[in-house]
Amino acid sequence: MKIRVTINGALCEREAPETINLLHFLREYVGLTGTKEGCGGGECGACTVLLDGHPVNSCLVLAAEVDGKSVRTIEGEARDGKPSELQQAFAKRHAVQCGFCTPGMVMSARALIDCNPKPSVEEIKEGLEGNFCRCTGYVQIIEAVLEATGQPTSTQERSHA
Amino acid sequence: MLHHFTYLAPRTRAELHSVLADNGAAASLLAGGTDLLVNIRAGLTRPKVVVDAKKIEGFGGLVWSESEGLVIRAGVTINALLGDAKIRSDYPLLIACGHDLASHQIRNRATVVGNVVNASPCADMAPALLCLRAHAVISSKRGERDVPFSAFFKGVKRTVVAPDELVERIVVPAASAGARGGYYKLKRINGHDLGIVGVALCIDRNGEMRVTIGSCAPTPVLVEGLDPSLPADAVVAAVTRAISPISDVRATKEYRQHMVEHYVRRLLDEVRS
Repeated sequence: MKIRVTINGALCEREAPETINLLHFLREYVGLTGTKEGCGGGECGACTVLLDGHPVNSCLVLAAEVDGKSVRTIEGEARDGKPSELQQAFAKRHAVQCGFCTPGMVMSARALIDCNPKPSVEEIKEGLEGNFCRCTGYVQIIEAVLEATGQPTSTQERSHA
Repeated sequence: MLHHFTYLAPRTRAELHSVLADNGAAASLLAGGTDLLVNIRAGLTRPKVVVDAKKIEGFGGLVWSESEGLVIRAGVTINALLGDAKIRSDYPLLIACGHDLASHQIRNRATVVGNVVNASPCADMAPALLCLRAHAVISSKRGERDVPFSAFFKGVKRTVVAPDELVERIVVPAASAGARGGYYKLKRINGHDLGIVGVALCIDRNGEMRVTIGSCAPTPVLVEGLDPSLPADAVVAAVTRAISPISDVRATKEYRQHMVEHYVRRLLDEVRS
């Protein structure tokens, strides 16, 4: 079937099977491989993208469902080759180790700070609760979001989220 | 890639009813998809037809009226519920249960109706809807019928909804507005997880107390008609009689019993203070 989606601001039209999910549609039919498949079952959040501005697990959405809608992926973060402030904060705060969860983390953080420009640590934890990291640890990720939103990070307790 | 199925997105209710009548159990309704697509991927269900109902006008939306109460249409997501000012002020138990359901991403897709029609014993919305005396409006080509949630669940993942039917909306009576209470859910981790035990308790404006327990029987269990002045021991005894927890991969029967009692006492303390 024909699927028309606005992806990172550009209209994209592809012929794809009706059984394909948004994640595989993005990776295999649009060529945007920044969005990762972790668990494939809505647990880990690695495949998080914004659908009409709201974070969703792209593994649990059919591409057919988003026909006519707007999707934002990790590829939409950088502008003219320059990483966004959020991406820079992830790098600066060492919030990336293997990097597999990072695209999903960044998209969840993006959705959070778009509607809450100065989130508290508790709000960050809640906003990122659907994103699992198995190697970096959550402290640096929380600090990255604090950094990106211009908030102090040095007083943060070194505890596991 | 998932197994081969046909994706249909009817535009009208009549069309939807016909698709369900023609395909019966071979059709699966798609609203949020957060259970359906997981089950399809795992091979637990292999529908021939996946029917996306979200393009039907009036499929979503929250409506409040003094006469009918709160109407939660089939397309209403958990996050839409959580963001509603009227629900926040008048139906705090719905907020408490919805807030504990899965992750932010899932709550953006998962629907209130989907949560109850999947009929997991640990469904987070069931305790609130049972405590608040909600009913489901079920429709098909044959017409509409009302089923109170106290008669809705038939077993693990089984409800009274027939293959040609869908839950059109949930109605939470106006008389339940202002009911005080709360919800506690025991999980293995602090983040999103299935409930090991869930307990909701409320006292409504007429002074009736009700308790609902999740994950302690094949269906969520409602204990109603409780006098709010009952001693805590008597409430615990009534609740314990109603449940039949088992030991499984997530917890033992004894742990579940202990935590139900603990949460009942805590909720009683909170609601009485």
